[in-house]
Amino acid sequence: MESSATDSDAPDLVCQLDNVQGMVDALTAARWKRQQDAVIEISEHGMVVIVEETSCLQAKVYLQRELFIRYEYGAQGRPRLGVSLGLFVDCLNTFSAPGHSNTIEIQYPGPDMQLLLKSVDSLDASIYAEIRTRIPDTISWDYNFEPAGSTPLTFTVKTAALKEAIDDLEWPGASIQITVQPNPPSVTFRGDGHGDLQIDFMYYANADLLLAFHCDRQVSYRYKYKFLRATTSNIPGSVIRDNRGSKLTIGRGGLLKVQHLVSVARTSTSHTHIDSTGYQHPSRIAYIEFFVKPEEDEDTADD
Amino acid sequence: MKFKAFLTENGVNLLEKRFLPALDRMGKICHLYLTRDHAIFLHNLLNGDGIQSVAQFRREALFDDYRISSQNEDRIAFAVDVSLLHRALRSSVSICTEFGSGPTANRLHIKLVKKLPANSSQPMPFLTFETKGFKSAVIQDVPISKPLSRAHLLELQTALDAAQDLPPTLVQVPDLNQLQSFVDRMKHIGELLNVSITKYGELHMQISTTFITLGAEFRQLLVIGEQADAPVEDRNLSAQARSSRAILRGDAQSVQVSVKHFAKSLCYHLAKPDCAFYGIAPQGACLTVIFQFFIPGSRQMDKSISLHCRLPVLDPGSS
Repeated sequence: MESSATDSDAPDLVCQLDNVQGMVDALTAARWKRQQDAVIEISEHGMVVIVEETSCLQAKVYLQRELFIRYEYGAQGRPRLGVSLGLFVDCLNTFSAPGHSNTIEIQYPGPDMQLLLKSVDSLDASIYAEIRTRIPDTISWDYNFEPAGSTPLTFTVKTAALKEAIDDLEWPGASIQITVQPNPPSVTFRGDGHGDLQIDFMYYANADLLLAFHCDRQVSYRYKYKFLRATTSNIPGSVIRDNRGSKLTIGRGGLLKVQHLVSVARTSTSHTHIDSTGYQHPSRIAYIEFFVKPEEDEDTADD
Repeated sequence: MKFKAFLTENGVNLLEKRFLPALDRMGKICHLYLTRDHAIFLHNLLNGDGIQSVAQFRREALFDDYRISSQNEDRIAFAVDVSLLHRALRSSVSICTEFGSGPTANRLHIKLVKKLPANSSQPMPFLTFETKGFKSAVIQDVPISKPLSRAHLLELQTALDAAQDLPPTLVQVPDLNQLQSFVDRMKHIGELLNVSITKYGELHMQISTTFITLGAEFRQLLVIGEQADAPVEDRNLSAQARSSRAILRGDAQSVQVSVKHFAKSLCYHLAKPDCAFYGIAPQGACLTVIFQFFIPGSRQMDKSISLHCRLPVLDPGSS
C-alpha cells in the first residue's frame, strides 16, 4: 500500500454526504449477486466503485465530489481499496433511517486501514462503522471503450422499458442478440433458447420509449443473458419513478456500454419536474456504467 | 374447572388491535394463564432458550363478569395458538359490530369448554367465543391444549415469579420505530449484538464480525434505578472507548444477545406502548425490555397492563 498514511496525520479522504439513500441506491444498482468484491478508487474528483465478473462484465459507479457536502482529499496518487460490495451497501443502509436527515462522514484510512463511517447529524444518537479493507486485486481487463467507427452507435431508451424488455427475455434466456439498424431506425432484442422472443424498439413508432438514436449501419452482437440482466436487475425505484432514460452504446468489438443516472439529491429538495431525458442538475447525479462483452463465437453482421 | 367472562369493548380493542398482533410476532404458541385477578400471556417460560415474554392484564382491563374456578386455587393455564385466537376474536368482533345493537346485545362471551370434535371420540378442550347477532349466534371454538397439571402450573408460576426481577438500571429508549428500523437493517450485517447500558443513560449496541464493526449509541436517556453522572473526561472519546471505560468503572453492564431476538422484542411496538426501557439483569443474566402503557389521555402509568420480555444472553464462548 501507499505509505502516505504513515508519514502524515491527514487521512486520504474525509467526506460528508447528506443523502445516504441516494448512495445506497446507486451502489445497489451494481449488485447482481450476493458476494461481490468491489474496488473503490479515490481521487480528487470523487469516488469510483468498480465491480466485475469473470472478465465479461464490469460496473462502475461514479460518485463525484459534487455529490458530497464536504470532500477533503489528501492523498498522493489514487488510493484503491477493496471491500465487499454487499457489506458496504448493507452498512450504508443502516445509516439511512426513513424520516430522518442522515448525514454521514466517510473517512479512509482508519488506524488499521479501515473505511470509517459515522453519522454526524445528532449528538444523542450516533451510528458508526469500521469496514475492513483489503488490498484490491488488479482489474483483470481494461474496459477501454472505443467507438466502433467514425460515428457512435448509440441509443437512449426509457430505463423502465429497458428493464421490462430484459426481464421478458428471461424466458428464452441463454444469449440475447442486440441488433441496431438505421433503416428503419430500430433496435431489436432477440432471444433464442427454449423458444424465441423478439422485442423491437422502433424509433419513429415509439418516440417516448426510444428517446435518441444514432446509427449509420447495421450491427448485431450476442450477449449472455445473465450479464445483460445484471445491468438492469437492481435499478433503484427512484430511477423508474423519475422516468429516466438509459443510454446504450456499442463500441469496437461489440463491447456494450449501458449508462444509468441515479439521483442523489436530498429528498426534501428533489425536483418536482424532470424532463423526459431525465436531465437534472448534474452535480446531484451518480453515474453508473456497465460494460458487457459480447459472446465471442458469434459471427457478427458488421465489422 | 370453569372459566367464563365477557370481553369488554376496551378489552377487545386491546387484544384485537394491539396485543394479539404483537404476541403473534413473538411466537405462534403461548400459554394463557388465568388467575382470580389476572389474565397473563406467556411465551417460552417453560422451555428455556427463546425470548421470555410476559403480558399481564388485570381482569378489569379485559373482562367483566369474570368467573373462574379450579381445584388449583382458581388458576387455569393452557397453551393456545395466538394467530387462531386472533382470527377468532377478529371475526367475532366483525359480527358484533355488524349486527349488534344496544349495550348488552353485542357482548362477546368467552368461555372454556370441552367438546367432542367431528370425527373424534375424545372430547377436546376449546376456548369458545360466542357472539349474539341480530337473529343468529356465532360460536367460534379455538382449540387449546389440555389445561396444565398442578405440577406444571406450579412450574409456570415459579418461572413467572423468577421473571419479575428488575434490572438495577433501566434506560428509556426514545424512539422505538427508529430503533426498529435500525436493527432491521443491522440484521444483514451479523448475528450477535453486544448491548451495553450505563448508569449515565447510554445505550450502546454493536455488531462485530471479522469484516465489519457497526454500532449505534444513544445518549442522554432517561434513567430509572441506579444512575451516575458521566465523567467529564470521557466526553470526547469514541462510543466504544466510553462504554468499555464505564464497564471497568462498574458503571455499566454489557451482554451479548442475538440480533434476531433483539429485533423480535421490538415487534412489541405493535402493542403501541407509550414507552420502553432496556436494562440488564444482575450478573448479566438477561437483557430485559419493559414496555409501559399510560392511562389514555394522561402521562400516568396504567398499572392494569404490564408487558415485558427477557432476551437470553448468549455465551460468547459457545458459538
